[in-house]
Amino acid sequence: MRKTKTALLIAASTTMPALLLSACGQTPTQGAASPSSGVVTITWYAGPITGTGVRSTLISKFEKSHPNIRVKLISAPTSTNTDRANLTAEISGGASTPDVFNGDVIWPAQFGHAHLALDLSHHLPKSFFNRFAPGLAAGASYKGQEYGAPLFMDAGFLYYRKDLLAKAHLPVPKTWSQLYQDSRILQQKKLVRYGYVWEGNSYEGLTCDWMEFMTDAGGKIFSNASLTHSVIDSAASLKALTFMRKLITSGVSPSSVTTFEEPQAMAVFDAGNSAFLRNWDYAWSNSNDPKVSKVVGKVGVAPLPTFSQSQYPGYSNIGGWDIYVNPHSQHISQDLTFIRWMTGTQAQTILATKYSEIPTNYAVQKNPAVRRVNPVLNIVSKVRLVPRPSGTPSYPKISQAIYTNINSALTGSISPTAALKKAQTQIDRAVSSNSL
Amino acid sequence: MGTPNPLEPELTNHASRPEKKSPGIRRRLARQGWAFALPALTIIAAITIFPILYSIIVSLNHITFTSQGYHFHWVGLHNYSVIFSNPLYRYSLFFTVIYTVVTVFIELVAGLLIALVLDKLIAGRGLMLAVLLLPWSLITVISAEMWNYIYNGVYGVLNALLIGIGILHTPVVWLGRPLIAIVSMMFADIWKTTPFVAIILLAGLQMIPHELYEAAEIDGANGSARFWRITFPLLRPTIALSVLFRVLQAFGIFDLPFVLTQGGPGHATESLALLGWQVMFQDLNMGRGAAIAASTTLIVLFASLLVLRAFRAQVGEEDLG
Repeated sequence: MRKTKTALLIAASTTMPALLLSACGQTPTQGAASPSSGVVTITWYAGPITGTGVRSTLISKFEKSHPNIRVKLISAPTSTNTDRANLTAEISGGASTPDVFNGDVIWPAQFGHAHLALDLSHHLPKSFFNRFAPGLAAGASYKGQEYGAPLFMDAGFLYYRKDLLAKAHLPVPKTWSQLYQDSRILQQKKLVRYGYVWEGNSYEGLTCDWMEFMTDAGGKIFSNASLTHSVIDSAASLKALTFMRKLITSGVSPSSVTTFEEPQAMAVFDAGNSAFLRNWDYAWSNSNDPKVSKVVGKVGVAPLPTFSQSQYPGYSNIGGWDIYVNPHSQHISQDLTFIRWMTGTQAQTILATKYSEIPTNYAVQKNPAVRRVNPVLNIVSKVRLVPRPSGTPSYPKISQAIYTNINSALTGSISPTAALKKAQTQIDRAVSSNSL
Repeated sequence: MGTPNPLEPELTNHASRPEKKSPGIRRRLARQGWAFALPALTIIAAITIFPILYSIIVSLNHITFTSQGYHFHWVGLHNYSVIFSNPLYRYSLFFTVIYTVVTVFIELVAGLLIALVLDKLIAGRGLMLAVLLLPWSLITVISAEMWNYIYNGVYGVLNALLIGIGILHTPVVWLGRPLIAIVSMMFADIWKTTPFVAIILLAGLQMIPHELYEAAEIDGANGSARFWRITFPLLRPTIALSVLFRVLQAFGIFDLPFVLTQGGPGHATESLALLGWQVMFQDLNMGRGAAIAASTTLIVLFASLLVLRAFRAQVGEEDLG
């Protein structure tokens, strides 16, 4: 009998990490507040942006111009989902730290709805949001209120090997079929092992790649702005998905592309094993870093191709990160000062010129001196941007319905038709109340 | 079981000694015992019982986040009826059960074989034990990252190895197709935890007195008879313990699929713990996430009772002594 009881206790204590985590979220932790001394310390939760040095550079510059505010960095993971889980557990439990945090551009609806981010519109003048490039402030809003300040933006680009295209006398592809043909030619000439690498794993990044292919083919996730009924199961989507699958079956993309996230795709390209790469802005500096790349100086960047030439350039998914304020922070005014500075010209110029990020500050983005340093910036103004349907708190479930089913079709486990049908059913369920 | 256990008088000797004391003294000792154990028990209650109860309460509510914190809205068993009718939950349950049964069974058989060999080993047992413990001592997240590189479809070691020796001609995407991904993940689990089972079983083997084997040999029992009549029956409590530990761990599997597949391809490797995490911390649906967690706990408690029941005869015998 005694043993049974012990066993029950062990069972209860070891089974579910989620159980324990749910309790951890309840413990409010207090920030190191010392308002009497005059110097206030705020904590900033941020992952490495393009490298670990960016954050400390920005902090030391900020502290120099704001001697009464100290910024303590909490280094965050690079995975957006892990970040979300950490922040959700802390902030929903009432923690006053971190005071400010970097968060994905797809979070405003969910975080605004769940009171996990401060409504900035109540604390900052409307004019503050004029500093951002067109569309960015709208992307950080939910139901007309601003929940985040865009910190840096991102988009999908086509990276290509200049040297290989020159060897085979090929122009930079403007259509997907051209990219496919070029890849075949380069592979047949044994110039390169794979044609095209991208992000095909079952995760958020596949939703980004999917938005680009699908939108370009003329498809949509939702037919209306209220995001209540999905139309993903369409002829246009089928065209896009069939093409993506063809990239794999033909060998243009390695079959393991269905397990690739950005770093894996980047590594294949950096090793010189692929002619084309779909990746974000950071791929430019990464592929030109001799420490990690064998293709330094051989890389070109262009907007993504399209299905029909007349539509060139293709669509690029909007990515990037916002900076948010914890609604329980005890130093809101200092937090806002930090945000103002981070989105101002000095910080944004540092981000763009030293760390090759696309600034959100429109004046910096347009500055010719900045553009000369970062060639990706010249292309940004040319691409057509498509956002993910993140205007609803149910977005994580919608995205999951997209990437799990598209991934299944890419691996060949189910047919493209079946995958789209399933995705549509699951998205409809996600926006109804009967989802998990 | 038919053979009387000559060990019992010796084993229970210590335990039976206090019984000779008078009831008054025993009661006082018991009170003191409780008093000494109370701080520890309070901590255990705080870190196990409270979260479980809280989790059950959360699972009976619809939780909305407000600026003042959580707002509870009582919905009774609604969350449970939603998850039980959801195909993804059912698949996750199915996957988790299959995963647990297969990995625990293989680990038990392999662990027993290793333990039997180690038990007979005279020289180098310490070294072998240390080597065996390496996989077990690695943090799962780290060993999972390692397997991620091994299984990588482009520059993975496994493909290079198998192509090198001519077994494969084209690289296999080990984590890209449902069945292969499940088997690959099970293999990583078995690699890591078999040593743990082996060491627990080895401890059990070493508690079996040598005289029994000597007596059996004199009576002319062959190897298989010695195993089935002596080793296995006396090892049953240890086997029960290791199976229990493993079932509890395997049923809550989170780190391996989190690192290796994120539940993919599709939902093929989405364990209940991963699903619960997803619903709770990605979709912020606390009530339904808690329902998944609580249901998992209930299922694994039930499974533990079954395991104990299967070995009850042996456990009961000990207690009776």
